[in-house]
Amino acid sequence: MNEIHFNQLQETLYHEKLENGLNVYVLPKEGFSKTYVTFTTKYGSVDRTFIPRDRKEYVTVPDGIAHFLEHKMFEKEEGDVFQEFSENAAAANAFTSFTRTSYLFSSTSNLYKNTKTLLDFVQQPYFTEKTVEKEKGIIAQEITMYDDQPDWRQYFGTIENLFRNHPVRIDIAGTVETIQDITADHLYECYETFYHPSNMVFFAVGNVDPAEMLKFVKEDQHSKSFKAPEPVVRQFPDEPDEAAETRSDLRMDVTKPKLMIGTKCRNTAMSGKEMLIRELASDVTLDILFGRSSEFYTKAYNEGLIDESFSYEFNLENGFGFAVVGSDTDHPEELEKLIFSVLDEAKSNWSITDGQLDRIRKKRIGLFMRALNSPEYIANQFTHYNFNEMNLFDVVPVLEQLTVEQMKEAFRDLYYENGQTVLTIHPTGNEQG
Amino acid sequence: MFNKTILQPGVTLYTRPTAQFKTISLSIKFTAPLTEENAGARTVLANVLEDSTAHYPTRTKLRQALEELYGAVFYTDTGKRGNQHSLMVFAESVNDEYLNNPDGPVFEQLLSLVKESLFEPNLTDGAFSETIVEREKQSVADRIRSVYNDKTRYANKRMLELIRPGEPASLSANGSEEAVLAVTAETLRQTYDSMLNNDSIDIYVLGDIDEQQMIEQVKDLFSFPAGDRQTVQPAGHEHSGETPPKHIREKQDMKQGKLNMAYSTPVDFRHPDYPKMQMANGVLGGFAHSKLFVNVREKESLAYYCSSSYSSQYGLLYIMSGIDAEEEEKTARLIGEQIEAMKQGKISDLEMRQTLALLSNSIRSAFDSAKGQIDIYDQYKQLDENFRADHLIAKWEQVTKEDVQQMAGQLTKEITYLLSGREALEDE
Repeated sequence: MNEIHFNQLQETLYHEKLENGLNVYVLPKEGFSKTYVTFTTKYGSVDRTFIPRDRKEYVTVPDGIAHFLEHKMFEKEEGDVFQEFSENAAAANAFTSFTRTSYLFSSTSNLYKNTKTLLDFVQQPYFTEKTVEKEKGIIAQEITMYDDQPDWRQYFGTIENLFRNHPVRIDIAGTVETIQDITADHLYECYETFYHPSNMVFFAVGNVDPAEMLKFVKEDQHSKSFKAPEPVVRQFPDEPDEAAETRSDLRMDVTKPKLMIGTKCRNTAMSGKEMLIRELASDVTLDILFGRSSEFYTKAYNEGLIDESFSYEFNLENGFGFAVVGSDTDHPEELEKLIFSVLDEAKSNWSITDGQLDRIRKKRIGLFMRALNSPEYIANQFTHYNFNEMNLFDVVPVLEQLTVEQMKEAFRDLYYENGQTVLTIHPTGNEQG
Repeated sequence: MFNKTILQPGVTLYTRPTAQFKTISLSIKFTAPLTEENAGARTVLANVLEDSTAHYPTRTKLRQALEELYGAVFYTDTGKRGNQHSLMVFAESVNDEYLNNPDGPVFEQLLSLVKESLFEPNLTDGAFSETIVEREKQSVADRIRSVYNDKTRYANKRMLELIRPGEPASLSANGSEEAVLAVTAETLRQTYDSMLNNDSIDIYVLGDIDEQQMIEQVKDLFSFPAGDRQTVQPAGHEHSGETPPKHIREKQDMKQGKLNMAYSTPVDFRHPDYPKMQMANGVLGGFAHSKLFVNVREKESLAYYCSSSYSSQYGLLYIMSGIDAEEEEKTARLIGEQIEAMKQGKISDLEMRQTLALLSNSIRSAFDSAKGQIDIYDQYKQLDENFRADHLIAKWEQVTKEDVQQMAGQLTKEITYLLSGREALEDE
């Protein structure tokens, strides 16, 4: 068992890599009632072309399958796993992102019973054609629900505009049509390939004794048999730096137009510390350019170009990255001009000062410390970092040493010629009530 | 869990020293009667107070000051509970212990910033700036309008307006667009004076604090005018339930159908049977083991979500589901059958155990956030000044299947509401 102390944060992280390849992490939090436990596989919506375990050829599976598999894991021959979690006082859930599928529960009692349920249900697949068919109706309703959400459509529409080939452009849940092609065999094939312990991370945070939890997981894994660990072989298409579409428009039943600008990140083949620096440098730069204390924000808000819905974010994974900036606005054209003028100005006449960096650095350190109150945040962020060989607890030291030069470099890869798109949602004009 | 100190009549401080969090949190809650006008004016006021202060007269200056305090949180919000309207100021900063900060205690600086925002707002010759007021009116109006874009929320809002028009149950804590647009710099000044003079005020401080010192500090900083502060007395909201249930369908340009229902119950937050109704709601549709999830989603694949929630302040229980509108009748019938089953006592020991377990887990988990501790205590202190999660859990443990059956028997259906797409509406 490795102990990693973080003195300034007053936290200790416990870690062990088991024989079957599973990485187990435990972070005890004093004073907390609940424990939040996640069991996550490095398998998300972008993993659509890969060599299945024990085979030699690449296959491409139907869109939305990682998410579909996530749904189906909860159903077993003897019934629904939610029932078991409920009986043991745990709230269970799962989510699928571009790069991960995470199963989790949070509970204030019966920690080991629930941990056992979590490990077992994720490690014992059970799919039949009948149950797969039945799930299609439920997921179709989930997809339809998101189709009616303007923010979701705008976000995914922007990503779709940015990427020409990379599967990040495909909606995580797929479409009502693509999920029809999914069979139980597909699910087994994906399961066998991606749900090996060596491709997974177990993380427990909260009211938990690290030694006891490590021992419990170790014994559980020891009692189960797994095939030998094998690296997962994925394939991603070449992706140009340029955005696939420079602009698109949607019509939806909204009260006010919505504008989103997306910008694609190039040179994203990185991991570890390099990636952490890149991520934080990009975050801080966007904060200085678009944050609530920025010149942009004051001007845009005072002139009525943005409202409370204004937001921006940056996302980076090994192989793809992007930033989005958007708001509901009565003046989409003016707002578009203003956002691009801020970006152009930063590109041609970089003027971010050490003083601005120092202020945002402080803000970010505080934000991180506050986030450590949240077991959910810790577990989710930790896993994102872990899968990219970064360490969550390096965030503060990297922020403390971040330089304007690093920000400038990050910005060069985030804002360059032809790497942008604009998505506008226009009201259909049928508003009532 | 919180220690109570009466600072002056109608102004109460609640403190809780705890090392659980890396932050110190402050929440100040101003309570007044809930009316459409009041809600609108107070929400604009909340926005204006968050914008700037006398010492930080622009949004940028104020936000930069907060960034210098290690990204300290400072925001305002409004909310409602029964017939009460609240304007809340929330502030939080990292405990200095975790910062290598040479510039002195962060939370103390944050406290004086909050004090300024309340007692030295950004006024010129005693008046709020027209420009700021107009801009914030627009922001709040936009926020109210944007509910329309979220069909799940919109459907619930419409349903409530149809059964409780003009009553607190259907009023938004943000007020109405009309009320917001009617605000002027002058009326806002009256709203502000009334808030400081007449509202009942609850202040919460939670974190790794020296309690005595904190009490003195707060007493010193937050000295409100000696006014006549009346607590808003909760009003009853009994409905005869004798009118036949409504069935209303509305259409918008959308894909999914939102099938919602509302039932009224005489059991509200202050009713002795309140814990029984919480259990009944859990058995029906509060969780993933509940009847609605199991029968409507898992068995029939009709919905991704189908759940119930108990609005205890208004004696209402809502059911919300997202379905293919073609399946309205089938879904409505299935939902009706679940309630009927409960009325007939078809409730298993397992369902009771699961519901008790998850209700207990959810309240215990809520205590793992500073805001959760403040919000839950603030609500339950009306019933029990010494409130702890265990007290409520003990009450749930007493609830029997027969109690849940009896609660189901007291539900009166008021409305079935379907919001769905327009068939003939194609993009041009």
